[in-house]
Amino acid sequence: MLKKKMLRDIRKNLSQFITIFLMVFIGVMAYAGIESYMDGMEKTANKYYQENNLQDLNVMGANFTEEDLKEIKKIENVKDAERKLTLNGTTDGDRTLLLSFIETNNISKFYVFEGEGFNPESEGVWIDKYYADENNYKIGDEITIKYDKIELKEKVKGIVNIPDHVYDVKDSSEIYPDHKEFGVAYLSINELPEYFRIFNNVMVDVDNKDKKDEVKNKIEEKVENAIAVTNIEDGASYTSYQGEIDEGKTYIGVFSGLFLFIAMLSVITTMTRVVKKQRVQIGTLKALGFKKSKILLHYIGYGFWISLVASLAGLVGGYYLIGNFFISMEMAFFEMPNGAPSMNISSYIMAVLVVLTVSFITYLTCRKILKENAAETLRSKLPNVKNNSLNITTRGIFKKLGFSSKWNIRDIVRNKMRTFMGIAGVTGCAMLIVCAFGMFDSMNYFIELQFEKLYNFNYKLVLNENISKENLNKIEEKYGANTSKTLGIEIKNGDIKEANNVFVTDANELIRFVNKDGEFTEVNSDEGIYVTYKLAETKGYKMGDEISWHIYGDNKYYTSKIIGFNKDPQNQNVTMTRKYLESLGVEYKPDSLYTNQDLKDVKEIENVELIQDKNALKDGMENMLQTMRKMIILIIVIAILLGAIIIYNLGILSYTEKQYQFATLKVLGFKDKKIRKIFTEQNNWIAIISIIIGIPLGYYLTDWLFKTAIEEHYDFGASIKMITYVIAGVGTFIVSYVVSKILARKVKNIDMVTSLKGNE
Amino acid sequence: MEKIVEIKKLTKSYKVGENEFNALDNIDLSLNKGEFIVILGPSGAGKSTLLNLIGGMDTPSKGDILIDGENISKYNEKQLNDYRAENIGFIFQFYNILPTLTVLENVELVRDIVKNPIDSKEALKGVGLEKHKNKFPSQLSGGEQQRVSIARAIAKNPKLLLCDEPTGALDSKTGVEVLKLLRKQCDGNEGANTVIIVTHNSLIAEIADTVVHVKNGKIESVTSNEHPKRIDEVGW
Ligand SMILES: Nc1ncnc2c1ncn2[C@@H]1O[C@H](COP(=O)(O)OP(=O)(O)O)[C@@H](O)[C@H]1O
Ligand SMILES: [Mg+2]
Repeated sequence: MLKKKMLRDIRKNLSQFITIFLMVFIGVMAYAGIESYMDGMEKTANKYYQENNLQDLNVMGANFTEEDLKEIKKIENVKDAERKLTLNGTTDGDRTLLLSFIETNNISKFYVFEGEGFNPESEGVWIDKYYADENNYKIGDEITIKYDKIELKEKVKGIVNIPDHVYDVKDSSEIYPDHKEFGVAYLSINELPEYFRIFNNVMVDVDNKDKKDEVKNKIEEKVENAIAVTNIEDGASYTSYQGEIDEGKTYIGVFSGLFLFIAMLSVITTMTRVVKKQRVQIGTLKALGFKKSKILLHYIGYGFWISLVASLAGLVGGYYLIGNFFISMEMAFFEMPNGAPSMNISSYIMAVLVVLTVSFITYLTCRKILKENAAETLRSKLPNVKNNSLNITTRGIFKKLGFSSKWNIRDIVRNKMRTFMGIAGVTGCAMLIVCAFGMFDSMNYFIELQFEKLYNFNYKLVLNENISKENLNKIEEKYGANTSKTLGIEIKNGDIKEANNVFVTDANELIRFVNKDGEFTEVNSDEGIYVTYKLAETKGYKMGDEISWHIYGDNKYYTSKIIGFNKDPQNQNVTMTRKYLESLGVEYKPDSLYTNQDLKDVKEIENVELIQDKNALKDGMENMLQTMRKMIILIIVIAILLGAIIIYNLGILSYTEKQYQFATLKVLGFKDKKIRKIFTEQNNWIAIISIIIGIPLGYYLTDWLFKTAIEEHYDFGASIKMITYVIAGVGTFIVSYVVSKILARKVKNIDMVTSLKGNE
Repeated sequence: MEKIVEIKKLTKSYKVGENEFNALDNIDLSLNKGEFIVILGPSGAGKSTLLNLIGGMDTPSKGDILIDGENISKYNEKQLNDYRAENIGFIFQFYNILPTLTVLENVELVRDIVKNPIDSKEALKGVGLEKHKNKFPSQLSGGEQQRVSIARAIAKNPKLLLCDEPTGALDSKTGVEVLKLLRKQCDGNEGANTVIIVTHNSLIAEIADTVVHVKNGKIESVTSNEHPKRIDEVGW
C-alpha cells in the first residue's frame, strides 16, 4: 500500500522529482565524466607506454658505436638499449619531418594502424598517423625525404604511433602541433649511405624504475660518447602530456566539485520540501498506527531510489558523454592510440556519497516531523511563525515598507534555509560564469602583454653561437642593432645556490618592460640589476638589496644592487643593461637580434639559426586558447543550466508553499499582476545579492586557479575585463528573471476554490 | 424590495472521470438587499459552490447571476477580479489569513485593493482585537484568527459579505461572538450591506432574515423569518 502511495506521490510531485533526478544526474555526470577523462588520460598513457615499451632514459651524443651499445647493455638493471639517429629533414612541399633511423624497434615500439611493423631489412618509411591523415598518405604512396644532400624516395610501409612522439612540434615557438606541416618518420638505418650511418641517441630501457638514477650515473661514467643522459619524464613529449593531466586536475577538479555542490544544494532543498509538504500525511500515517521506522523507511525510499537511479545514469553518462568528449578532444592534440575514458573509483565513491546524503537528508527531515506528536502535526494548519524572529521587521524602517516588501522579508526570514540555498546556488552560477569568461580574459591579457607590450618587434633572429664579429656587424647593419643575450647564472642566497638566468638587453625599444600594473617602465639604468616582482616576492628581495651571483662556467662572483622591478609573465629572472654587464668586465656577445623589418619571405639568413615570427608565436598561443574556448562554453552552458534549474526549483517550491496565500490575495481582489510582482520580487533580490557575492568570488576563483595550476616560473593571475563582470551579472540576472517570470505565470491559473479548500 | 442577488437557471457541473456531475442543477433564486441570509443544507449539497459563484470565485456552466442588476456570469477573469475587489468580502472556515503578516497588517492589506476602506484600527476595534494588533496569527486562538478575517472583510466595506462555515472550526461560545459581529455588519450602514452565511448548522438559521434550503444541488425552499431570534436566544 505504501509503495502505491510512493508512486502516486512521485507522480503528483513529478516536477520536483524530475528536478532531483536531473540535479543528481548532472552533478554526478559532470564529476564522473571529468574524473573518467582525467583518469582515462593517465591510464591510456600508462597502458600505451607499458605495452609499447617507452624508453626510460635517452642518451645523447655525437656518435655511438657498437661497443657503446654493448657497454650500456651490460650495465646492471639495463634491460635493453637501442641506437637511433634523429635528424630534422624536409619532404615534399617543403614540410618538416622529424627523421629517426633505427636498427631495431623493441623500445618505443610502433603502434601500427595500417601496414606492417618495423623490419630493418624492409625498404620504406613509417610515418605518424596524423601526418598521414592530414596529407592523405596511404600505404604504398611514395614520399621524398631530404636531408642535406641526401635524397631518399620511400614507400610508406606503415602508419603508426610512436610512444616517445606523443607530442612533437617543429620548434619550441610552436605550441599547437600542426600535423599537416610537421610529421614524424622512421626508417631503417640501412636506407642511409654507409658513410652516414651514425647514431646520436641511445634509448635505454631499465628493468627497475627505482634504479634509473644509478643507471644514469653509470652511463655517464662508462660511456665516453655520452654527452647527456635525460629521464624520459623530462622530455617534451612526456611532460606536455603529463602537464595536461596535472593542470586539468586542478582546474577541472574545482569545476566538477562546484557543479556537484550546487546540484546537491538544490536536491537537498527539494527533498526537504517534498517531505515537509507531506507533514499532514505523516501525521495521519502515525495516527493510523504505522510504526515510526516504517514511515521513515517509506520516506527515505523517495530519496534513495531516485538518487540511486540518477547516480547510475550519471556515472554512465559521465563516462560516455563527458569522458569521451574530452578524451577525443585531447587525442586530436596528442598522438596516442586507443584513448578512452576510465572510470575512477572516486566516481563510484562520490555516487554512493550522493545517494547516502540524499537519503540522510530525507531521514533527518522526516524524523523532525515524526518527533512532534501526531495531534500537533495534524492540527497546525498555520505554519508556526515565531514572534521573536520576525519582531524586528515590525518596527523602525520596516514599518514604512510596502506590503510586498514586508511580506517578502518575512518570507525570507522564515525560510532561511531555502533562501540560503538559493543564494548559494545562484552565487555559484555567477561565479562559474565570471570564472569561465575570466579565464579567457586573463589569457588574452597575457597574450596582449607578452606579444604587444613586451615584444615590440616583428621578428626575432636567433644568432649562431659561433658568429664572428664581422658577421654580427653585417647583420646589425642590415636589420638594426637591437640585440639581447641570456646568460645562465647561479645566485647565492645564503648557503644555497640557485640557478637562474640574466637577460642582458641592448634591444632599445624593441623589448619593453612593464611594472606590476602592466604600465611601461624603463630598464635603462647602468648601475645595477632589475628583478621580476615574483622573483623578488618568492626570494624576499627588496629594493637596494645586494645579490651575489656568477655566470655558469666561470667561478668569478659579482655583487649587484637591485635598482628596479619588472613584471614578466613567463620568466622570473634578472635583467640588466648591456652597459652594466660590460662595466662588470664581462664581454657582451648577443645571442638574439630583434627587428621590425618584414621577413615574411625570408627563409634563411646566414649565421642565423632560427627566424621567429612574433605573430606565429602569438598564433600558437591563440590556437591553444581555441581548445580552452570549447571547455569554457561547456562550463557556461552547464552553469546556466544549473542556475536555471536551481532558481526554477526553489521558485516552484516557494510557489507551492505560497499558493494558498496567493489564492487568499486573489479572493480579496488583488490583481494577478500585483501577485506576480510580489512573487518575483523575492527572486530578484536573491539574484542581486548572489551576483554581488558571486562576482568577486569569481575573480578570486580565477586568480586562485591561475596561481595554483600554473608553474612557478609564470607570473599571472586573473585579469578580468569590466565587461565580463557586466555580462556575468546581467546574464545571471536574466536567467533568474526569466525563470521567475515563467513561474509567475502560474498565478493566473490559481484555482481559488480548490486552493482554499485544501490546506496543504 | 430591492434584490441584491438574482440567479436564473444556474447550473454548475464538474467532470468526474467520464461523467458530468451537477453540483448545482438549474436553480433560480433571488435574495433581498440588506438581509442576513443563511444558506442551509447537508454536507455536499452544493452550498459552497453556490457561494463561490456569487462571489465571483468561480464561473457557472450555465445560467446567469445578477448582482445589483449586473450580470457577472458574463464577466471575464479581469472583470471578476475587479468585481471581487469592489464588492465582496469573504470569510472562510479556515480563516485564510496570511501567517507572515501581523494582525494589523493583515487588515491593512485591503488598502492596496479598495479606494475607500474603513480604517484598519477601527475595524479591529470592531472585532475587539485592537490590543492584539501587533501579534502574528499563529499567536492567536482560532476564534481570534477568525475575527481577524472578519475585520479584514469588513474593512473593505463590501456590499456583500460571504461567509463559508465561519463558525465551523470554532466552539459555540466563540461561534456566537463571531455571529454577533456578522449580524452587526448587516444591521449597520442603513441596510446597504448584505451578509450571506453558508452552514450545515440549522440552529444558525433561526437568526436569519431569510433561509435558503439546499439539497442535492437544488433549492428545496426559501423561507423568511418574520421575527428572527436574537443570537443570544439560540440555544447551542
Ligand atoms: N472541484 C470539484 N470537482 C468535482 N466535484 C466537486 C468539486 N467541488 C465540489 N464538488 C462536488 O460538488 C458537490 C457540492 O460541493 P460543495 O458545494 O463543496 O458542498 P457543500 O454543500 O458541502 O459546501 C459535492 O458533491 C462535491 O463533491
Ligand atoms: Mg462547503
